[in-house]
This record gives sequence, C-alpha cells and structure tokens, in this order.
Amino acid sequence: MAHDSILSLKYFYIFNSNYGQKEGEEAQKILYFYPPQTDLDTQIKNVGLTEAIIKFTDTFNSYQKCESLHTLKTRQLYFQPEEGFWMVQVLTVPTVTKVKEGVDHLEYQSDEIQDNIYWSVLEQVYRSFSLFNGTFSKILEESDLTKLRYKLASYLSKYLAKIRLQHADILDVFHGIQFLPLDKKTFLHVQTLVNLLECSFPRVQHTAFLYNDQLVWSGLEPDDMQVLYRYLVSSLLPAQMECELQGGPMPRQSTSFSALHYGRFASGPTNLQNTDIGKIPKVHLRGGAGSAVCHLVIYRALSATICMLIDEAVSLEIEFFQRLDVFLGQRLTKLASEIAEQCSHSSSTVPVESGAKFVYYNQLNRAQKSTVHLDNRRNGNISVPPDVLKILADLNADFMDRKPSTGETIVKTMNDYWVVGKLSNLREFYVVIHQKNANLIEINEEVKKLCDSQFKSIFFNE
Amino acid sequence: MASSRNEDDVDDKGENAEGKHPEGNLLNFEPETPVESMLVPTDNFDSFEQEAPPDPTALQGDDNLAECQKITRNSSETVAEDPEKNGTSRSMSELSLVSDDSSEPQHVDEEVSNNAEWRSQEKHVFILSSAGKPIYSRHGSEDKLVTLFGVMQALVSFIGDDGDTVRSIHTHGTLFVFLIKGPIILACVCKTRESVSQITVQLNYVYSQIVSVLTLEQLTRIYEQRRNYDLRRLLAGAERLVDHLLIALETQPALLLGAVQCLPLTSTTRDAITNTIVSCCNKIKNLVFAILVGGNQLVTLIRMRKFILHPADLHLILNLVNSSESFKAAESWTPICLPKFNSRGFLHAHVSYLAEDCQACLLLLTVDPDLFFPLSEAKQKIVEKLRRASLLQSINAALAHPGTPVSQLGVPEARHFLYKCKATAQFWGPVPAPPYQTSEGAKRLLDQYRVLHHRLHAPSQPLKLLYLQDHAETMLGWITTGFELYVAFEPLVTKANAIGAVNKILRWIKKDENGLFITNAPTF
Repeated sequence: MAHDSILSLKYFYIFNSNYGQKEGEEAQKILYFYPPQTDLDTQIKNVGLTEAIIKFTDTFNSYQKCESLHTLKTRQLYFQPEEGFWMVQVLTVPTVTKVKEGVDHLEYQSDEIQDNIYWSVLEQVYRSFSLFNGTFSKILEESDLTKLRYKLASYLSKYLAKIRLQHADILDVFHGIQFLPLDKKTFLHVQTLVNLLECSFPRVQHTAFLYNDQLVWSGLEPDDMQVLYRYLVSSLLPAQMECELQGGPMPRQSTSFSALHYGRFASGPTNLQNTDIGKIPKVHLRGGAGSAVCHLVIYRALSATICMLIDEAVSLEIEFFQRLDVFLGQRLTKLASEIAEQCSHSSSTVPVESGAKFVYYNQLNRAQKSTVHLDNRRNGNISVPPDVLKILADLNADFMDRKPSTGETIVKTMNDYWVVGKLSNLREFYVVIHQKNANLIEINEEVKKLCDSQFKSIFFNE
Repeated sequence: MASSRNEDDVDDKGENAEGKHPEGNLLNFEPETPVESMLVPTDNFDSFEQEAPPDPTALQGDDNLAECQKITRNSSETVAEDPEKNGTSRSMSELSLVSDDSSEPQHVDEEVSNNAEWRSQEKHVFILSSAGKPIYSRHGSEDKLVTLFGVMQALVSFIGDDGDTVRSIHTHGTLFVFLIKGPIILACVCKTRESVSQITVQLNYVYSQIVSVLTLEQLTRIYEQRRNYDLRRLLAGAERLVDHLLIALETQPALLLGAVQCLPLTSTTRDAITNTIVSCCNKIKNLVFAILVGGNQLVTLIRMRKFILHPADLHLILNLVNSSESFKAAESWTPICLPKFNSRGFLHAHVSYLAEDCQACLLLLTVDPDLFFPLSEAKQKIVEKLRRASLLQSINAALAHPGTPVSQLGVPEARHFLYKCKATAQFWGPVPAPPYQTSEGAKRLLDQYRVLHHRLHAPSQPLKLLYLQDHAETMLGWITTGFELYVAFEPLVTKANAIGAVNKILRWIKKDENGLFITNAPTF
C-alpha cells in the first residue's frame, strides 16, 4: 500500500500548567516546543487544547492518567512524567488515496498508529533525557526554568531529529536488552575481569559488559541498564564502529606496552599522552538507593565494551585513565577474542524448520530476543509483513489491558499468517507462522517445538 | 425442534471433520445461502465513513422511495406542529426530565458531575446540538450538566476549526468517543472494555433512533432554521426509546452481531404463518413490510418485492415494540422512520399484539397514511385464520419454550456460543447456563464476545480466527465466508477438545438450520 503521506511527528511539546496562569502569560507554561519555529499562537493553542482534554477527562475519572487523543488527522499521546509536567507527542495520521467510484478519495489510516507503541516511544524520550540531565524537578531544584528550557532544547532537538517513528513496533514497547549467552567458562572469565576491575579500581561503582550490541554482564539496576543500553546500541556504538572502520582497529602506537592490544576509550581521553581527558558524559541513575549521578567511562577493545560508572564527586585525571588502560588493554583484547571464537561456534544455531519467527521478552531482566527483526537497526528490515507485526503489539496491548498472570492468544489473519502470543510469569512470547492449511492443533505443536528448541528451561503454561 | 432436512446428507458432509477444523481444510459447514435474503447481510461494522448520511440524489432515483417521500412529507409536518397526535409522545407524562420548567426541587444547584455516583457510572451517553444545547444525558439531568455539555461542544468545535474531527480520548480505564452527525454531537464515556468502533456503532444506533422519531429531513431543517433549537421539545418520549436502546446494546448479542434471532419453529409452521399473513395482505397496496415478532425474536418477515430491511432498522422496530407497553393495550398507528431504509421520510406502522392469549406483535408498515382501517381489518383476519389453523398455539408453545441450553447439544466442553449466518443476518445461541445465568455472568460473557468480535472485525486488520485463553474462560471466534461462530469454553479446555466441540456445534446447527433460521425471503 503506497502511502501518500507517512506517519510523522507534527508537534512535540512539554508544558506545566502551574506556570503562567494569568491570562496573556500562557506562553510561560511552555517549556519546549517542536518544531521550534512554530508561531507562539499555535503553540499556545495546542497546549490549551491538551489542558482542556486533561481537565475534561478528569471530570469522569479522577487520578487516572490521560493517555491519548485520536482525531481524524492526528494522534496525540500524553505522558505526565512528573507532577505537573506533561509531554505531548502529536503524530500525523498517514494517508492513502483510494479510488472510489472513479473519484480519488483521501483515506486517513488511523489504525496504522498503535497507541501502546508510540506511548512507549514518548516515555523513552523522557527516560533518555533524564538519564543524561536528571529529572525536571531536580534541574529546577539546582537551577531555574531558563536552565530547564535550555537543557530540553539542546537535548531534544538532537534526539527528535534522529527519532525513527515510522518503523516503531513491538520492540519499542519492550525496550528490551539483547543478552549474549556464553558458556560457563567464558562467562566466568567475563565476571572475573569485572570483579577484578571493581576491586582494583574502587572508584568504579557499577560495570556493564557488552559484546557487539549484546549485553553480557550488568551491575546496574535493570531500569537504568535498559536506558543506558538503548543509548549505547542506538547511538554510541554505531558511531564508534563507524570511526573504527574508517581508521581500522590500529594497535596503540605507544611503545611502553609490550604486547599488542586494541583497547581504547570510547568516552574518555583519546590520547593518553595528553592531559586532556576528553568529554565524559554524566548519567543520572534512578535505580537502587535514590538517584545518583555518575561519570560514564567507556572502554572498548575489538568488539567488547566495558562501561564503568564512577561517582560524579570523584575528579578524574589522566593518570587514572592511564592505569585503566594498562589494566584493561590486554585483558579485554584477550577476552574479546575468546568470546568471538565462541560466538563463531554457536552462531550456527539450527534454523526452525517451519519458518516460525518469534519475539521474546522477559520483564524481569528486560531480556529480549527477536527473529522477526533481521537486524538491530530498527529501520523496517523484518521477516514478516508489517501488518502481521502489528498484531504482536495488539496482543501485547491486550495482555497489558487484562493483566492476566498467564494467557494465550492465537489468531489467524486473512492472508493465513498465524500469530501466537503467550504470557507466562512476566515473560512474553510471540510466534509468527505462515502455514495455509494448518489448524489450531498443528500450530500449537509448532509453538511447542519452538519453545523446546529455543527456551528449554523456561516454563510456559499450556 | 424437528428438521425437515435430510439428515444423512448432513452427516455425510461432517463425517471426517474431527481434527480438521477450525481453519484446516474447510468442509461443508457453510450455511445454506438463500437465493434472496429479507435482511441486508451485515458483514462488518459500520465504519465512520460508511455512516455518512445517505446521498439524497441516490435515494431519489428510486420510484418507490420517491413516492414514499412524497406521502410522508405531509406527516412529518404534522409531527412538528402537533406532537400530541403522534405516537412518539405517548408517554410524555412518564418523563420528568423533559420540560424546562422542571418540577424537581431546585435546591440541587450543584453540578451533577461532582457526584461520585454519577462519575462512577459505567457508561454515559450524551447528545447535544452543535451549538451546545443539551439534548440527552443517560445519567443525570441535562439541565444540571450544562457546563459539561458546553465543554464537549467547545472541544468538538475547537478541533473542528482546524479542519479536523475529534474521534476519541483514551485514559487509563475510561474511553471517550465522539460522533458528529451534522447538527448533532453524540458522545459516550465508558469504563467498559469496548472498542472505539464498537462504541461508534452504538452511537450510530442512538442517532438512528433519533432520526427514526424525527426523520433526517426534519432534523436537518430544524437546525437550518434555528441553530439554537432545543430539540428536547420534539423528542419528548423518545428519551425512553434511547434509554431502552442503550440497555439493549449492552445486553443483547443481536446488536453486537448486527443480526436478529428467530423464534425457533418448524419450517412448515413458519411457512403456514407466513402464507396466512400473505393471503390476508396481498390485496393491500403500499404495504411495504409485515413483521411478526415475539419475545424479541423474529417469527416472520414479509416484504414488498424490491425492498429488503436492514437489521439495524429491524433492531429499531424491536426496540420500539419492547419499550412500549401501550401497544399491548390497543392497536396503534404510529409513524416510524427507518433510517437505513429511507432516512428522509416516515413509514406508518400498524402495531398490535395478535391476541390476549398470544403475545406476538404484528407490525404492518406502509407508506400510505390512510391505511389504518384496511390494515386493522387485515390483522383481524390474520388472527382468525391463525387461530383456526391452531398456529397461535404453535407460536405460544415456541414462546413458552425455555430455550435450548448448550447441555442438550451434547457438547460438554462448550459453555455457550453464538452462531451467525452472514447471508441472512440471523443468529442463534443457546440459553445461558451456569456460570452465565446471573446478570453479572451474562454481562461478562457478552464482554468476552465483544472482545472477540472487535478483534475479528478490526477495521485495519480483520482476522479469520481468534483463540483467546483467559482466566475465566477460553474464547474462540471463527469467521468463514458463510458464518461467524463465537464459543466460550472452560478455561482449561485443550485445543483438540475445543475443535471437536466446534465441529459438533456446527453439525448440530446444520441439522436444525431450517428451524433456527428463516431461510427463505417471502414477499407479498
């Protein structure tokens, strides 16, 4: 189906109704508005409408969050991340032209937009912002509104420029983490390195270990790791890899190290001979005991990445990085090769005969796995038709709505795709099978087989 | 319930069906497709687009309809000028909310919307004019909700100013749906699990009910002349119809499925009743439909050749019958507009119950406003003939029958089901047995059917089959070219047993098809 106009971001704004309550001062409510060149009148009108909707719905249900407004041409999603603050994402509904009785007829495809997906996308904007900037109220505590407006503008303008709305799907609902399963020995080697690192450098509070874009070990709270992982996978690592590809993974030119190693800082000093330690981002962690602000130091060797979180109170000098480099360089290079070797052995996993594709998500550790998506780039490279992929998010929305502890849904589409959704102990499992003449029992058998081969140790209710 | 069909034939077809269904190779469980149907087949929801007012030019093309309009134009004026004379104001005295100078105590000057009980109502329905004048509120008096009506009107017009249309607002646990129909705005606020498209269908029904009382022509004209008109003056009495319709929408699967249930009768009995009515009426010109209903089920429907009735119109007729006790007392002559048939003019309905001892209601619908006495006469003749042929007894027996519970079908795995024949827009379901015999149980069952129906008919992605395991029951919905089947099972039923049960149900339906459904489409 050719879309005449595709789903796109029309407006994105953040406001707080407690500001500018006097008539004529409404503009003060607005903390951020995208696109920034929108005239003030339109900005005020939009914010006014949102306020009216929220107030209107409040008449009927106090204390229930208002989530979205559907109009013929737009979809507006509302999110209140902190008391008084509302984030609003306005999407334009995609259209197609259909010929009806010889006349071109513009049709708005409202059903193309699934609330749960785009609501998660919106929530993710906030979580990502507050990872690097802290919560709105904390910024206000420490400085003032002008600073908050400035931070929002500088962060969001970059974020929204990169946001990919069109191919958002069920994975955006989960925002899960891909784990790399390793054999016991290799996994212990990773853990030994992490423990040794944390003992040798007590300043390092938390550590996370990734291989390519898969997580091997994390000492962070799952909530924080989820957001950090998203940042690493979608923004930092791709940039790093691109720069490594261009320069080649060259050994360090320094002669003071005996053996070759490929280690370098991805966030930290680029040249250890220099006193400039480079720009090190700070992250605001939410999990654990209250919120904490940490330096995020990232070290890479070959395909392995170590993230080290260091209390912001600690001042970092070049000498510290030099010691880290000496400690990690060889060890990490060696470990990366070991993992690479193991991966090449196990990567030849048996493909499923029936051609069944699946998406798995575990709410407890945020683990996610998908064979529906052919790559990790989130640009619509998928192995099932897009309309079938949409069913997965529908089934998820239905599970979340009914909140059963266990449940199973099986559907068959008009074009003979079967989609099976299972929910069991906070684990969600979706299977897509294309088999025209199968019946319910045969599909059930297929799913069982798939569970046995892929998730041997996980119990799914029948 | 005897079947007139050859049973060998049926068994033959179903023989090796076990394990194949649902959605394996399709065997012949498809219902008999009649050559013609008396009802418009309904396949899907009325979407927003489909619900646009009918194109007047298209309507005028039809001679009979033009005639219908010509005649009814006069009567629509009668309604406007003299509401006392027409049937719609029968129960003005019953209504306390209508009049402006309400006799209710005035001390309640607080807005009802602050009232916790009012807020916690499961489903609110509001109707207002595009100028913001209250027309109807399901809970609480409109007069005390003026501010709320104002807010709704403002929302609709604010978004409308941008060339856009507000559809729905979603909050955690509450859904707000808006439907804008020319000069009228309908809104629903519900805490049920219904979908936007399902609520939209319901609001369309409510709108149709209003059109049915006024005709679209009158409705449009009133607002063209006076944008600020208080429509409640004309709708006195119709509030009861809307109230009743909303209850029906919540409790009857018929409106969900867009289908009607027939009173189970052997096909010979039904044909005899039909022939009796035809023989007494075929001399009467301009008689468009003769409809016999009993216990909210259709006994027979005879139509003028060329015309078929839309199930939505039939639902409005049933709603009128069910919500008007006065029809039981005496034969009535009432104007009724059937929006799907022709939204611009009235038909005239002769409504009467067959006899003191037979509570089936006969409706004779005509375009001729002067036909009361000939129809009244015809009705007397029909009753006499039916009585002589002891067909009244047959109807009474069917009406008195408590209904077939699913346990009599020999399908222990299934707790309940609904079967809809798509071509004839008719459905059948067993009487609810435990755990659905209570009103909460029945409500939950219908909620489950709604979920199935919504997902199977989702406008963006209709499905063929849906199997849903929930904590209280396992639900299966299956749509083929000929039928729709919705089944509720024990929660822990195995898929093999579920499929076995589906096959048994289909075989049983096939066997009794001629008793459960009207498979012919008689005309005068």
